[in-house]
Amino acid sequence: MSLLRTRDISIHFGGIAALTEVDIEVQEAEIVGLLGPNGAGKTTLFNVISGFLKPDWGRIVFQGDEIAHLLPYERVAAGIGRTFQHVRLFRNLTVYENLLVAQHRHLSSGSFAAMLRLPGWRRDEKDARDRVEEILDVVNLRPWADAHPSELSYGTTRFLELASVLSLHPKILLLDEPASGIQQKEVEALGPLLKRIRDERGCSILLIEHDMSLLLNASERIYALDFGKIIAEGTPNEVVADDLVLESYLGRTRRATA
Amino acid sequence: MIYAAPVTEVTIFGLSSGAVFALLALGLVLIYRTTGVLNFAHWAIGLMAVVTYVMLTALGLPPQVAAALGLAVGVVSGVLAYRLVFKRLGRGRQVIVILIAIGLAQFYSSVAQFALGFEQFTRLQPWLPAGDVHLGQVAIRASEIITAVAAIVIAFGFLVWFRLSRTGRALRAVAQNKEAAMLAGIDDVKYSSIAWGIGSALAALALLLVMPHSAGEQGGIITTFDVTPFGTLLIPAFGAALVGGLVHLPMALLGGFVFGLSRELLILAPKPWSDLRASMAAILILFLLLLRTERFFATRQELEALE
Amino acid sequence: MKVDVAVEPRHGSAPVTEELEAPPVARVARRRPTRGQLLGLASLGLISVVPVPFGDFGYFIGQYATIYAILGLSVVVVTGYAGLISLMPYSFAGIGAMATGIAMASWGWPFWLALPFAAGATVPFALFVGVTSVRLKGLYLAIATLTISNALGETFFTWETITGGDSGHFVARPVVGPVDFGGDLAFYLLCLGAVFALLFMVEGLRTSRVGRAMLAVRDNELEAQALGINVAKTKLVAFVLSGMIAGFGGAFLAQLLISVTPNAFQSPFAEATSLLLVTLVAIGGMDRAIGAFVGAIALVVQQQIFNGFEFFFAFVGIYAAITLIAFLLFRPGGLVQVGKILADLTRARPALGLSIIAIILVTNVGGAWLILSLS
Repeated sequence: MSLLRTRDISIHFGGIAALTEVDIEVQEAEIVGLLGPNGAGKTTLFNVISGFLKPDWGRIVFQGDEIAHLLPYERVAAGIGRTFQHVRLFRNLTVYENLLVAQHRHLSSGSFAAMLRLPGWRRDEKDARDRVEEILDVVNLRPWADAHPSELSYGTTRFLELASVLSLHPKILLLDEPASGIQQKEVEALGPLLKRIRDERGCSILLIEHDMSLLLNASERIYALDFGKIIAEGTPNEVVADDLVLESYLGRTRRATA
Repeated sequence: MIYAAPVTEVTIFGLSSGAVFALLALGLVLIYRTTGVLNFAHWAIGLMAVVTYVMLTALGLPPQVAAALGLAVGVVSGVLAYRLVFKRLGRGRQVIVILIAIGLAQFYSSVAQFALGFEQFTRLQPWLPAGDVHLGQVAIRASEIITAVAAIVIAFGFLVWFRLSRTGRALRAVAQNKEAAMLAGIDDVKYSSIAWGIGSALAALALLLVMPHSAGEQGGIITTFDVTPFGTLLIPAFGAALVGGLVHLPMALLGGFVFGLSRELLILAPKPWSDLRASMAAILILFLLLLRTERFFATRQELEALE
Repeated sequence: MKVDVAVEPRHGSAPVTEELEAPPVARVARRRPTRGQLLGLASLGLISVVPVPFGDFGYFIGQYATIYAILGLSVVVVTGYAGLISLMPYSFAGIGAMATGIAMASWGWPFWLALPFAAGATVPFALFVGVTSVRLKGLYLAIATLTISNALGETFFTWETITGGDSGHFVARPVVGPVDFGGDLAFYLLCLGAVFALLFMVEGLRTSRVGRAMLAVRDNELEAQALGINVAKTKLVAFVLSGMIAGFGGAFLAQLLISVTPNAFQSPFAEATSLLLVTLVAIGGMDRAIGAFVGAIALVVQQQIFNGFEFFFAFVGIYAAITLIAFLLFRPGGLVQVGKILADLTRARPALGLSIIAIILVTNVGGAWLILSLS
């Protein structure tokens, strides 16, 4: 049984079909890539899977359960984590506090426990802080613990976002262009990092990426999208050689210069 | 005043208050769509005009002159609010913009309180002709009719001017897309100031029409109720503006009449319904808010520009 | 799982590599109070003692200020923490006050029972507003709360069953054993205790799962959802907590006013007071519990010294408005932020910092004395 399976996902905006009958499948502990030119519908697909958009029709099955009716926060609880194309962090909170927020689903104390400083709250806070301490060391963000995201370099904010989403202990991670805007050296470190996440946590990854070397290196399988439809599927080598895929990239450029 | 044919009377009241709501709403919409600020200080700025009127008539100036000068003060108050405060904000966080607008409302209304001297009532001289007009068997206050007519004329005139004039076009351009307007050589600050000036003029006109004539032959009264940050009429004016999603001028005009007429016509309704008068505006506004009227009237681009 | 990446600092210094010797960022478990907290506690203690030399009038102002601070705390929770613009805190206080009035005057309940009743009475209203807040974005929520406040002022707070008719409710101060809270000092201490308790609670809320969820929702709703936060529930909780705090303050307000008159919470004055509360909290520092305290006290005390009720409102209106706008334009963190800046400055350059503090104190106290002696 696959970890995540979408069937016939379709969605329109105005008169435009953003996605048409998209069927993809991700197994456990697998890295799957999503390839396609801008506007192909990759982020839209992510929005549908993570619950931020409701498809016109289609099914989403996660770990054998239908999840199409679940709200975004419920899908997080089910085990789906995602990042955004433009890094979304909490600007008014420090790095430390950002990571504390990410611990939300592991804690359970309510507002009264907090206001009255009951033992349940105390336990939760200690638990949260311990986890954040660990993450800070693991992702090497400790020097920035008290800084605000605006003081960090773009690459560092991306790592913060990654650390936050990993705090959710997801079973599948939807990464939207993790390499965009960061330096070459860090991009090269991403591939092995993603593989380690898969191996050490058993976490699957669905990856949107424009950086070809990263995408081809890290993915075990790739889906190619164009105009909201899957146009190719297979191993990186297969997809890259596929005629339709080449057409969708080169053809566009040709038409654009015509 | 002679009571007769309540329907006619109530309808005229409805039209007259509706026209006033419309004027206020048009000002709100103009300011909001051009500069992205929902002017919570709209009423208080209008108060500046009335307060000036009161002080000048007390000094002995003829009421019409005082009204004109009051109008000028209202315009200046509005433009100052934009130039000194809102211009600096750029694309500030919405919470901050709202808090500042509220602060200005408190500022101007407190200034008005000081200027009027904390009386329970302040009497105003009228500047429109007093006396009654007889329509068949019905007698209506002349000022009531003139207010209604004047407000309607001003409102329609404004709409036509906005549609057809170069300034109107420039204002629309700034509303749609500030950056593009700047690239086209349109001075964003100048036209935003114009928007605030005209918007505030509409508010000033609305208050100058209503307040000096609210007590019939004797002129008008201002009570302590009026010299508060939002007065008694701003909330229905928001409602009227909401009918057009806060961005559509003609619909705001219509909205004014919707709120004005519904409030007055309810007097004639059978008992349980007529008690709703006080909360009618609130119910309508909540309904409009939940309907998310801006979806119907603003393009996505405009909505984004306003955020 | 260790990640070896180059962490590039944004400003200045050379890139830090994985062999980094991180400056030890001390993450001491918060068991021992820091020097800053002790200083804060000392200031609170100091402020509490200020009314003493002024006798009964001083205690009255102290009661007023602390009750307004409680109402301010309700604004901190819903607008400061959760970022939801609510223009109706005084209406919630009114619900609490009326509930107290009815419970004590009509049903003969003791104050201690009326308190939780007052807080609970706000819950259905808070739930209603909270549900609308889920659907309405910032600006529209502001309009909605203003409208609801106005509607309540025109309907609910005019009904005789609620207001107790022309004479209102007469609410007696509680008597506990030998202590009669009818005395000004005793009641002041009661109010002080209440506001300190709530300060403790609201500040505690900030460092908790629920509080951080509110801060997250305020900052970035989408990301909050993506991290598993139930945004709708968070907003509801914010409104309910805020309503209950305001209702609680309303109970004390009823005690302060003793006779809760029928038009105490009617339009448009209720809205004007709500605005004032929001302004005070924004000046104090919107998202810090202590900010509400500081803001309420700074202004209520300073302006209550000037005689006359209407004068108070008008003057506070102008003074507060100008201060608010100045702060929002230049230092949105309010007095708390300015306080921090001053504290840092004083630590770094004591002479400069202390002289600035002295100048502020002198101009404020001097100005107040001047106006008092002229009137």
